[in-house]
Parts: sequence; structure tokens; C-alpha cells
Amino acid sequence: MKRRSIGALALAAALLVTAVAASAGTSSPDRAAATKITVWLQNDAESGWKEVVTSTNAAFQARHRDVEVDVQYQSWGDHLTKFDAALAGGTAPDVIELGNTETTRYMASRLLQDITTQKGSFPNSKTWLKALTESCTYNGRLFCVPYYAGARAVIYRKDQYRAAGIKGTPKTLAQFQAAGNKLMKRYGKQRNYSALYFPGRYIWAGMAFVYDYGGSIAVKKNGRWQGNLNSTQSIQGLTKLKQVVSSLSRANKTGDEANPQQSLVFSKGRVGSFIGNGWEWPYALDKKVGNPSLASKMGAYPMPSHTPGKFMPAFLGGSDVAVPVTSRNKALAYDWIRIFTSTNSMRQLATIGKQIPNTTSLANVNAKNPQLAPFANASKYSFFVPTAPNWVKVENARVLQVLLQSIITGRSSVKSAADRASSQITRILNGPTT
Amino acid sequence: MSGRRASRIGWNALGLLVFLVMIFPVYWMVATSFKEGRNILSDTPQFFPNPVTLSNFQDAISRAYFWDVVRNSLIIVSAVVAVSLVVAFLAALALAKFGFYGRGAFIVLILAVQMVPLNALIIPLYIQLSRAGLTNHLSGVIVTYLTFVLPFTVWTLRGFMLGIPKDLEEAAMVDGSTRFGAFVRILLPLIAPGLVATSIFAFILAWNEFLIAYVFLNDADKQTLTVWLAGFTTQRGTDWGPLMAAATLTALPVVIFFLLIHRKITFGLTAGSVRG
Amino acid sequence: MSQGPGGETGFPALTGAAAAEPIAARRRPRSLGTRGFRAVSPYLLLAPAAIVIVAVLGYPVYLLVRLSFQQFGLAELVTKKGTWIGLDNYSRIFHDELFWTVALRTVVFTAIVVSLTMLFGTLIALLLARLGRFMRLLLTTGLVLVWAMPIIVAVNIFRWMVDFEFGVLNWTLTKLHVGDYLNKDWFADSKTGFAVIIALIVWGAIPFVAIVIYAGLTQVPAELVEAAEIDGARRWQVFRDVTFPILKPIFVIVASLSIIWDFQVFIQVWLMRDGEPEESYWLMSIYSFVEAFRLGEYGFGASIAVVMVCAMFIATFFYLREMIRTGETR
Repeated sequence: MKRRSIGALALAAALLVTAVAASAGTSSPDRAAATKITVWLQNDAESGWKEVVTSTNAAFQARHRDVEVDVQYQSWGDHLTKFDAALAGGTAPDVIELGNTETTRYMASRLLQDITTQKGSFPNSKTWLKALTESCTYNGRLFCVPYYAGARAVIYRKDQYRAAGIKGTPKTLAQFQAAGNKLMKRYGKQRNYSALYFPGRYIWAGMAFVYDYGGSIAVKKNGRWQGNLNSTQSIQGLTKLKQVVSSLSRANKTGDEANPQQSLVFSKGRVGSFIGNGWEWPYALDKKVGNPSLASKMGAYPMPSHTPGKFMPAFLGGSDVAVPVTSRNKALAYDWIRIFTSTNSMRQLATIGKQIPNTTSLANVNAKNPQLAPFANASKYSFFVPTAPNWVKVENARVLQVLLQSIITGRSSVKSAADRASSQITRILNGPTT
Repeated sequence: MSGRRASRIGWNALGLLVFLVMIFPVYWMVATSFKEGRNILSDTPQFFPNPVTLSNFQDAISRAYFWDVVRNSLIIVSAVVAVSLVVAFLAALALAKFGFYGRGAFIVLILAVQMVPLNALIIPLYIQLSRAGLTNHLSGVIVTYLTFVLPFTVWTLRGFMLGIPKDLEEAAMVDGSTRFGAFVRILLPLIAPGLVATSIFAFILAWNEFLIAYVFLNDADKQTLTVWLAGFTTQRGTDWGPLMAAATLTALPVVIFFLLIHRKITFGLTAGSVRG
Repeated sequence: MSQGPGGETGFPALTGAAAAEPIAARRRPRSLGTRGFRAVSPYLLLAPAAIVIVAVLGYPVYLLVRLSFQQFGLAELVTKKGTWIGLDNYSRIFHDELFWTVALRTVVFTAIVVSLTMLFGTLIALLLARLGRFMRLLLTTGLVLVWAMPIIVAVNIFRWMVDFEFGVLNWTLTKLHVGDYLNKDWFADSKTGFAVIIALIVWGAIPFVAIVIYAGLTQVPAELVEAAEIDGARRWQVFRDVTFPILKPIFVIVASLSIIWDFQVFIQVWLMRDGEPEESYWLMSIYSFVEAFRLGEYGFGASIAVVMVCAMFIATFFYLREMIRTGETR
């Protein structure tokens, strides 16, 4: 009887181990090279422009009949952890989409394939958007292909403007401020009304003011980075920003523009205008979460500069696609990217996905579309973050958010907040790279 | 005794109050899943959905891979609960009924396992499983979940076993069964409440875990419910209505599981009514 | 700690003759030879659990410790060769002022959360014992529902309940004339911000504690309790002298796990601050994520993890000793 007990236990243990080992033996053929390529795209493509992906795959399959394409959609939250784990485990994809502020550190670590010599073979490479191309360039070499961008413009209530006596749309920042004042006078009695809904951590719209006055986040002098937010021009921009926001906005001073999604706040009716991306206009009208009755009452125009005749420079957010150095199917990967970023695909991306395509040659694709034209126009003047390998550390340290938040809440004076931010940036950008 | 009845009513009232306070956020989740999108983020909150809509549920169920991820999660959870109960029962026996070298070390080991932050461990773990060919397989996830479930499970069952008097075992053995047989026949039913608590724990851990499932499973049709839920958030923000509907559906199996086994906790009641 | 008739670990029989149980019967068999048991080896019983844990985690943990002494960044992920830098990672941690602030904050935070969780969890467990059958089932089901909510969903629900623009809690508090909470920014001040976060975590942790302790309570025999009450003991004395000693092993494990889990809290703070927590909200896990893992500095991150494990080890040391000791008198 004793033996039976021991035997039973041994069997149980052995079964467990065998079960684990057996399933290991039946590993799926993911690792077979040259019959399958893996592509990691963010889930925005799946929900926003799936047709582009399907048509790319179809065209690719037609050209390479024996190769399968496995597109796996990732979520923004932990996708870099997953990517790092895959790199370490040898299972990284052949093509990966990276946000344009995420590329630098992978380039600095030499984990993306250098494609400088192939640049010409990618469609529209001569007319790629400058800001995106910058995010793909490191030490003068090219490591990824621009995918799409988003620029911001002012989205506003035409009916409220009319009711407040504002004619047309503001063409200078001074006119913008005046228009805002009129709106506040007419509607400001409502306790949470904002002429311009601007949450305190909206750094990309906030930095636009800095760049408009000729300032910048950082400059490179003699190979060394120097934080530039406390230059005279930058401080001018920040002061102007504070003035505009405190007079025109009742949004959360420590919140950001995505939580809650600002176009949804706009759809509640108590916002005169906000600075948003192209997709935020139809989102405010979404039949499920928005207010479709606003359709005829909405419009958009590029945020005017303080200099007449110009627009405020817009931050070009966006994504690039790259081939990790670990890929065993690089040629196929390049080919997939070529199709995915072809003129046709880009056109679809612009019209269906409402994003800004990677090439200026298609800038006019949406010129006739009043819903998309202002955003395409806004991208005419753009700025991007300093392409320093340590830039991501600046983002991690929330330097810009703290700067904006402390200015807008009034916790610090503009000058002291800017001084602090600048010295932090100088220290971080020049610090040791990983 | 009316005094007893009055106090029982008093306790029940308190119990109801506690229930309402605790359940409010869950209620909010369920109510939101029946609300129309624009009433979800509303300047004046809606306590009761008006109008009530099922479109969020339809949206959630019709999303790609819904049934695949439900199936995967059920497979993983069943395997984790079943195997962890067996393995933990055996290990708890060893720790409760025997003295042996290495006992202290094992105790330290299983607690230390919980202490290592997952963020730090995830890449070495991935490398390890990748070598074993277990990445992108449910079994890799199952085995990993087991390691995180076992410590608590072993310890709790041990705690319950320590509470059972020896004479019961000894009485059984006089009847001629082996010590192990005595363990199984006598001990098992008496520690039922512990088994229930630990199986709920294993269920919920395996059901709701995110990072490991996300990193280890690549194919969309292999993923779990929790990872699939993350897909409701894109750069455009989150689809609240469908997400809450999906989350409500996700919480259901746990409740069903619990309702099926909750009687086992009350089993212990027959051994002596509970007061304390 | 009072030694009731059952001792710290042993437990009297279900019959009232318990108290008369001779000590001899509780002698622990040091080896397996007592009473002729040549039965199962404990090692065999332990084997499956030990194998699973060591097989899955053994190498990764070893790797983690080794990594903590290396410079290992993104580039090294692929080359797989880190540079040995000895204790540099550790000295970097200990020289970082921010680390000490965050460490202290995490310790205080953990202490508060664990105390509140254990307190309310135990109270609710005791409450459960006194409820009528239907009410008990209702409350337990409610607790399970709370426990079953995916954590991301739970955090988001709380996040929206206190939202600046749309928060239902803000609206309700204002309507109840508790104050003007419309458009209140709970997170502007980290004290109120942490109050919300702590409420969320305690709320989510209570079910686990309550249900497990309640399950433990079901093992307390009524006869003992009645005997104590007949002797004139008050309710809390009964709890202290009869109930708690029996509950102790469960209590200890639940408390230790709570300490360990609460020390590592991450996602609640992260999502409450919309993925961008200010430094005044940083806990150890956030510090580690932002300073190391986000940057791909895996060596540095590993050293922070090792430091965290040591801290948790120290925090649970007394419980650990307790756990190793219990069972020794059998």
C-alpha cells in the first residue's frame, strides 16, 4: 500500500513534467524563416485604417506567393516591454511600428537596421515629412521609414463665435485672444465653460507657443546640448501661453488632453474651442459617445501665430516603421514596408484614417476636405523634439509637464519654472547614455 | 430569543450597508455597460442607465477573437486551479504533518517568490520560457501562473491542515488505511473552506493577469480575455461602453465559479457553528 | 500571546474533551518512524511544487541577480553580453536622493494600506460570521465580484468617479452638501490624491482578506467560544484568546502577502495619474519603471528589484520567523 502511494505521487509528478515538456515539443512553426514574416502594428491601424493593412498584405502576397504575413496588433501601454522581451528571446518581429519619440533610443542602441543605402528604394523618400524623417535619423544615418503624422489645429464652435460677435476666424494670436475674451464675456457665467479648453499638461500644444516666439526646448552647440526653455524668446512664449490659458480655460490644471478626451468635453457644449488632432473633430460627433447635432456647427483653423500671416508651429506626433537588426527576413520586410508606405496606401491612410501621410506630395489630398485641410495646413510649420538619445529620459522625468503645470497653476513664476526645466534638460541630455 | 433576533437584524442591516458601499464601483461598471456612450461621461451623472442599451454588449461580443480569448482564459484558469489544488495539497501536507530538513528553506523560498517585482523578472522569465519553447503557448502561461499561485495556496492549506486534530487521522489509521489514505479521506473534506478560498484566489489570479499573458502570447487567437480588454484603448482614448460591457462579461465566470463552490465554505459550519 | 488549550498550532478535537488532551499525543514525529508510519516521504509530497517553482523561476532569478551587477541596456539585449560593473548599480541607487524619498514614502504607504486592509478585512470576516444565511451569501458574492473585477477596470472606474469634469463622487458629495467638490482636482495635492489611491487599493484588497479569514473562522468550534463566554469573557476577549490563536497561521500569511503586494503597487498610481505620475506620487515600483525599465536599463532595474526584495524580506522577517516556527511544537 505504501508503494502504491509513492507510486501515485511519482506518477503525478512525472505527468506534470511530461505535460509541460510535450507541449514544448509541439512548437508551432513560427520560427521557420523565409515562409513567414511578422509585423507589429499598433491597434490604431486595426480600428482606424484596417483597409490599408489588408490591401498591403494582398499586394505583398501576390508578389511573394510562398510567404505568409502575420500582422499582430499591439497596445500602446506595454508594447516596448514586449518588444524588449522578444528581442532578448530571439522572437522579435520583422517589422515594427514605433512612436516617433520612441525610436531614438533603439537607434542609439543599434537595434534597428541601418537603411541609409536603401533610402531611395522607399516610395516618396525625397518628400518625406521633415519631422518624421528626423525621428528616423541618428548620426546622419537612416534607421526607419516614416509612417504617419498628426498635427493639431483649433477646432471651434462656429455658432458660438457668431453669437459672440466674432467675425471669421482669428488670423493672429492677438485676434485669437480677443475672440476668446468675447466668448468668455458671453458664456463665461457658466461655471465650467472654457473659450479655449486647455488642460495644464497639454505639453505639445503648449510648446507650440515657445517655438512660435523663436524659442526651443534644447539646442546643440559644439556637440553639447543646452536646455533652451529659459531663453528670452522661450520665456516670451511661455508667458503668452500662461496669459491665454488663465484667461480662456477652465480645464483641469493638472490634467491632460486625453483623460477625459478633450473632444468629448467639447461635445458637451460648454467649450468654445480646443486644440486637437484631425481625428478629434469627427470624434466629437461620434454617434455613440459624441454629439452628432454639432456637425454643422463645427469648424477648424490652424492656430495663428503671433506673427501675422503665419501659423503656430505644430508638434508632429506620429509613428515610423522599422526593421529590427534581429530580423531574418530583412529583404521581405523592406518590401512589405515599401507597399505599406506606397503612395496608394498613404492616400488611403489620409482619406480613411484621417491621418497626415508621410509625404508632402500628398499634402493636397485633403485640401478640398474642410475637415482635414486645416490640419494638413497646420503641419506646414512644425517642430519636433531634440533628437538626443537621452531625450526619452527627459520625457520620463516629466520635465515639460512639470514646467507647464507649475506655470499654469501659478505655483512657480514663468522664469523660475523655465530655469529649472532648462537646467534639468541640460543635465539629462548630456548625461551618460545607457 | 428576541434579543438574538434583534441583534441578527442589526447585523444584517450592517451587512447590507457594507455590501452597498463595497459594491458601488461594481454597480457603476455594470450600469455603464448599459448606458449609451454619450451618457457615460456626463456632467450630471446618470445613476440609472436611461435609455438602457445592449449595444455595448453587442459591440464587445462581436469584436474579433472574443470567443477565442474566452476559450483561452477558461483553459488556462481550469488548468491552473486544478493543478495548483493538487500540487498545493501535497506540499501543504508535507509542511503541516512532517518535520524535515529543508522545511525552513522551502518556506522562505515560496514567500521570496512573491517578492520579486514582475517588471524586473519578465524578461529573464521570457528568455527562460523561450528556451523551453513555451512562448506563444498557453502551457507556458499556465506553468508561470502556477509558480505565482502556489505560495499562497500551499501556505493557506497548511494553515487549515494545522487546525485539524490528530486523533481523527489516528482513528482512521486504526481502521487500516495508510497515513496518506487518512490524509485524503479525512483531511480533505475538513479543509474544504481552505480549498475554496485558494481556488478562488487561483482562479482570479489566472483570470485577470495581464503582463505575463501579454508578453508571452503573440498570436491574437491565443491571447487571454484580460489582454484582449486592453485593445479597447487606442491612442484615441478608451471605448468606455464596450470596455465596461466586456469587463462585466469577464467578471461573470468568476462569480459563477464562486456560486458553484461556496457551499463548501459552509461545510465547515456543520462542524460547529461559527462564532468568533 | 496567550497559549490557549490548543497551543499555537495544535488544535483541540471537536469534542469538548479537547482541553484534557494529553501533551504526549501532540509530540511531533521527528522522523517518519513514529507509530510505525513508513509512509510517504515529505520530499516526494513537496516535489511537484518545488519543481515547478524552481524550474520556472530558478534561472530567471539567478539571471536577475547577475544582471544587477552588470551594465545591461537595450543593445545588450541582443548581444546578450553585459559589462560587469560590480556594485556600481547599487551605489547609484543609494546615492540617489530621490531613491530615499521614494523608499520612505513606499514604506509609509505600505504600512497604511496593509493596516487598513487587515483591519477592515478582519472586521468584515467577523461580520460575515454573524449574518443570516441569505445576507452572508449576498455579501460574500459582492466581495467576490469586487475581487473579480480586472484591476485595470477597477482603477479606471475609481479614476472616473473622482474625475475633475465628470466625477460622480464629486457630484454626489456636492449634492449632499458635504462641500463643493465640483471640478475638484483630487490629485493637485498628493495627500488627497493618495487618499483616493489608498481607498481604491484597500477596497480591492478587502475581499481577499475577508474571505480567507472568514474561511479560517469556520474552523473555530462553537463549543470553545461558548465555553469562554460562559466563563464571562467579553467579545473582544473571546476573539483575542480563542479565535485569534487559531486564526494566526492564516492571519500571518495574509498579512505577509499583503505587505509584499502592497509594497509593489504600480498600476493604481500609474493609471490614476493618467500614465504620468508626478514625482510626489512615485512609489518604488514606479521609480524602478521610470528610471530603469522605460529606458531599457535592465541592469540598473535588476539592482532596484534586488533592493526591493531585500526590503520586503526585512519587512516580513518577523512573520517569516513566525511561519517557520509554527509547526515546530507539533
